[in-house]
Amino acid sequence: MAGRLDVLVCSGGACMSSHSLEVKEELVRQLEAHHLADEVRIVETGCMGPCQYGPLVLVYPEGVLYKNVAAADVAEIVSEHFLKGRVVERLLFRSETADRIIQERRSIPFFEKQMKIVLANCGAINPESIEEYIGAGGYEALGKAVTTMTPEGVVAEMKASGLRGRGGAGFPTGTKWDFVRREKSPKKVVVCNADEGDPGAFMDRAVLEGDPHTVIEGMAIAAYAVGAQHGYVYVRAEYPLAIKRLRSALEAARKLGFLGDRIFETAFSFDIEIRVGAGAFVCGEETALIASLEGRRGVPRIRPPYPSTSGMWQLPTLLNNVETYANVRHIVARGSAWFASIGTEQSKGTKVFALSGNVRNTGLVEVPMGTTIGELIYDIGGGVPNGKRLKAIQTGGPSGGCIPVPYLNTPISYETLKELGAIVGSGGVIVLDEDTCMVNLARYFVEFTASESCGQCVPCRSGLVRMLDILDRITRGEGAMDDLALLEELANTIKRSSLCGLGQTAPNPVLSTLQYFRDEYEEHIRHKTCPAAVCAALFVAPCEASCPAHVDVPAYVAHLSNGDFAKAFDIHMKTNPLPGICGRVCYAFCETKCQRAQIEEPVAIRDLKRSMADYAMEHKLAGPKPRARNGQRVAVVGSGPAGLSCGYFLAQLGYETVLFEALPIAGGTMATGIPTYRLPRDILKADIDRIVRAGVEIKLLSPVEDLDELLADGYGAVFVATGAMKAQTLALGDPLPRGVVTGVDFLKGIHVDGTSEVGAEVVVIGGGNSAIDSARAARRLGAKHVTIAYRRAKADMPASPEEIAEAIEEGVEILDMTSPTGVVGGGRVEGLRCARMAAGPFDASGRRRPVESDQAEIVLPTSMVIVAVGQEATGELLRGAGIEVAKGGLVPVDPVTMSTSRPGIFAGGDATSGPATVVEAIGAGRRAAIAIDRFLGGNGILEPEERVEVATDYDEDAYTQERARAVPPMAAAGTRIRSFAEVRGRFAKEQAIEEARRCLHCDRKQTEDGVCCGSSAGEAAGATTR
Amino acid sequence: MKLEELRKIRERVQNDLRLRGGAARVKIVVGMGTSGIAAGAREVLSAFLDEIEKRKLTDVIVTQSGEKGLASKEPIVEVIERDHPKVVYGGMTAEKARRVVVEHVIHGTVVEGDVLAIVDAEKE
Repeated sequence: MAGRLDVLVCSGGACMSSHSLEVKEELVRQLEAHHLADEVRIVETGCMGPCQYGPLVLVYPEGVLYKNVAAADVAEIVSEHFLKGRVVERLLFRSETADRIIQERRSIPFFEKQMKIVLANCGAINPESIEEYIGAGGYEALGKAVTTMTPEGVVAEMKASGLRGRGGAGFPTGTKWDFVRREKSPKKVVVCNADEGDPGAFMDRAVLEGDPHTVIEGMAIAAYAVGAQHGYVYVRAEYPLAIKRLRSALEAARKLGFLGDRIFETAFSFDIEIRVGAGAFVCGEETALIASLEGRRGVPRIRPPYPSTSGMWQLPTLLNNVETYANVRHIVARGSAWFASIGTEQSKGTKVFALSGNVRNTGLVEVPMGTTIGELIYDIGGGVPNGKRLKAIQTGGPSGGCIPVPYLNTPISYETLKELGAIVGSGGVIVLDEDTCMVNLARYFVEFTASESCGQCVPCRSGLVRMLDILDRITRGEGAMDDLALLEELANTIKRSSLCGLGQTAPNPVLSTLQYFRDEYEEHIRHKTCPAAVCAALFVAPCEASCPAHVDVPAYVAHLSNGDFAKAFDIHMKTNPLPGICGRVCYAFCETKCQRAQIEEPVAIRDLKRSMADYAMEHKLAGPKPRARNGQRVAVVGSGPAGLSCGYFLAQLGYETVLFEALPIAGGTMATGIPTYRLPRDILKADIDRIVRAGVEIKLLSPVEDLDELLADGYGAVFVATGAMKAQTLALGDPLPRGVVTGVDFLKGIHVDGTSEVGAEVVVIGGGNSAIDSARAARRLGAKHVTIAYRRAKADMPASPEEIAEAIEEGVEILDMTSPTGVVGGGRVEGLRCARMAAGPFDASGRRRPVESDQAEIVLPTSMVIVAVGQEATGELLRGAGIEVAKGGLVPVDPVTMSTSRPGIFAGGDATSGPATVVEAIGAGRRAAIAIDRFLGGNGILEPEERVEVATDYDEDAYTQERARAVPPMAAAGTRIRSFAEVRGRFAKEQAIEEARRCLHCDRKQTEDGVCCGSSAGEAAGATTR
Repeated sequence: MKLEELRKIRERVQNDLRLRGGAARVKIVVGMGTSGIAAGAREVLSAFLDEIEKRKLTDVIVTQSGEKGLASKEPIVEVIERDHPKVVYGGMTAEKARRVVVEHVIHGTVVEGDVLAIVDAEKE
């Protein structure tokens, strides 16, 4: 009986390692049991592509694709789907953007933008069946070439197609064939380079495993075209399955006469042998590969002569890569014009990429040349998982380079990537998120090439080791700025003077990271910090490293886990004097790097901090004692978090510190902008009062207009922290009707002036935290309907996801892809006109730029419009002191000392960074205090004692088992919108102690290799070298 | 091996691979819910597959669906043709299935007596 269903089970390497063969065996058993064996055919195929979701099972005729199928799922698939026709929904793909499941393979976004030529048969046919290959059109091109075309004609077709070598160098394939064709030699050789060695590249393996005949056919056509009789496939021993399938394919091809004597009954004879290489990276280089094929040591030699003149056994030799050969039969069968119509001007056809690293859909993809990097990463790859930001992509493996976010619109081609300092290479694409240290990444690749250098020539053998030494030093925090110049000099020398491609390209990862991420090298060298918290020698723990104020999180959390809240508080005060505030409104960068997330969820560090701060407030703890007064005075302008922090630490260092505040209340934006339901004002006051008690004088209603006056008044130095309080506006109409206000004024009105009123309908424009704050405050003031209009996609909103979720719970509606164009109404606003937007190309931030869509304009009826689209600094005060002020009112400062261009005047916080977070301002204030101390003759040492690890008094091992993150009580949304009372509750004391015990103590460094935490980009690429 | 021999192999195998092509002219859906199977849907399904193979129809696929909620009319079969309304047959038997293949699928004449409903594709 004819088959009713074809069930394709992916037997690519990745799926097999996640037990796809067990799935297949179970399928056989279940089909027998249900007497379906005659109707349902099981086909083992090569790689289907989305390796992340293996084992994959594809069911035809419907084309239903099941993911992550386990043997235990098979019974349900057979009884439900095969027998009753009910697709098993829980095993289907789910859309990343919309909440829907996708049944058919072709509708999954991962496949939609792909164009499969090389991989057309991969995952679609049984690679061990030559008949299926023939059924899919196989060997037709070989037949056509040898029976209807001349060898010159085939070469001409290859030239016209524009195909270029897919091994990495991109040399025109037809030209290479022509060189070999023209050699007058009775014997010639065709070689296939399957020595795939780049970390993270596996496209050649997939083709050999999934469609071996396509390579055989390509090689046979090539042999016919150039006049060769023998072929070799040089494949690495690490690819046993590829070797096995290739071997069985060769046998089948011989049996049917596609290899051997008189192919298609013509005079053309050709056969292929497999040669297994031991896996030396250098053997991917053509002359080394040939040496290895001949049985010699695999080392490169000087070219010329090129292999096309004198290769294997000194015979003219054609050497192409697996993917290049896989293209050949399609070009011959469908014509060069068809092939040349795909791709860009100079890069024709498709390219297979192996997507790996920090991307949702890892696996094999094939796209037309000219597809943009952004489309590859976002549309096909599904973007960066776990809410992390994209940092760069690395292409071309150890010979390649990094491409940072601003280049996402770059169409992929040999030329464009080269211009950016990267290469297409063999097609490895490693996606790197914000947790990647670029110095460590460069170090990883240099370590790889240094150990793979064949040692024949000095620049590569010794030069790479020297580069590795320097990079090692930098990642240990022992680098010097001169090292960067030395690295560049070494890199350029090695590139120029190495014998072969390995050495000539090995420095590329260093050069390219230096080009785009030099600041990271400088951070490691000058500040001895690793911003991504990877280089373990440079930080206490990932949480501490990622905290802009560098709070010693592991130490205070350990004290909390012992129940000692007072000691925890003392530790916190050493680096951050605003624990009550940060325990509520901090962005908690620490939690995003918390290693506990690898077990289940990060430790609830911010909520722990709040418990600690509330304890300190209730027990009137003062924190560490300040030093004796040294008789010097320092002025601080602005009482926001930067000013308060700087003032506090100056007082700790013994300075008489005066804070000047223009408003009648202290706290800056924390007092004027952050709503009380997030930050109750008694908490704000408690943190500020403690700073006053520590010796800081705050002068309210004391605007400073002239810095020189302060200096003349006897202040030795001034710290300017005037924030970014000026609201940005939109051109919504002129004159504006009543009812249009800025978010800054609206929130200040509520919290300072007590004046804000709202109508029944309110529209807030913007996507940041102040837009969310305005919207939630409007709900609390009684607005019935609050809508946020945001011009980009909801996922691109800069506001914290937590805040957005809480706003939605409170009935705030978010209308994304909606850009206001003007207001409606004369005296009083009546509505807001908005254009509907569509996602355009990527912008420098890596988000898709909103462009006007063809949808009609809409009008949102409203009696109030709150514009919360951003704030900026004015820079007035500093400009007045003769200091240059950059665009947006921002003042350039040294990032370590916060000093301006004028000695004695320092600046920090939002005034120098633009709107940022409280904890960043606190860090800046502390750095400025240290620098001011040095400026005024001190040693700048705030913490003279060495850090000590905090011992705990409970059974730590018991807490390494899975254990849910504690959640503090939250007021219900219905209650919340009735007042401005605090929304979030706090842990009970015992609960806080239990939560603190979830800490994994990443600060402990007693392990053998001195490392207990952190992840490396090398690991992200699936290659660990530690 | 000659080119003609290659093409012969291909034709033979292509028929075998047609399920994966996805471009069928006619799709026959057999209701295979519990009541459908109890009423003989298995035999109906087998008859369809057999008849299609015998007549070498390469552009017809047979698939199955769950319960339609019309237990008294089982086995139920839908014949879906591109650009045509969907035809729903009820009370099918193996013999009737073979007739549907010959008259409806090949000659385009709906087997009136067994039709339960004709559904315009757009109304679904």
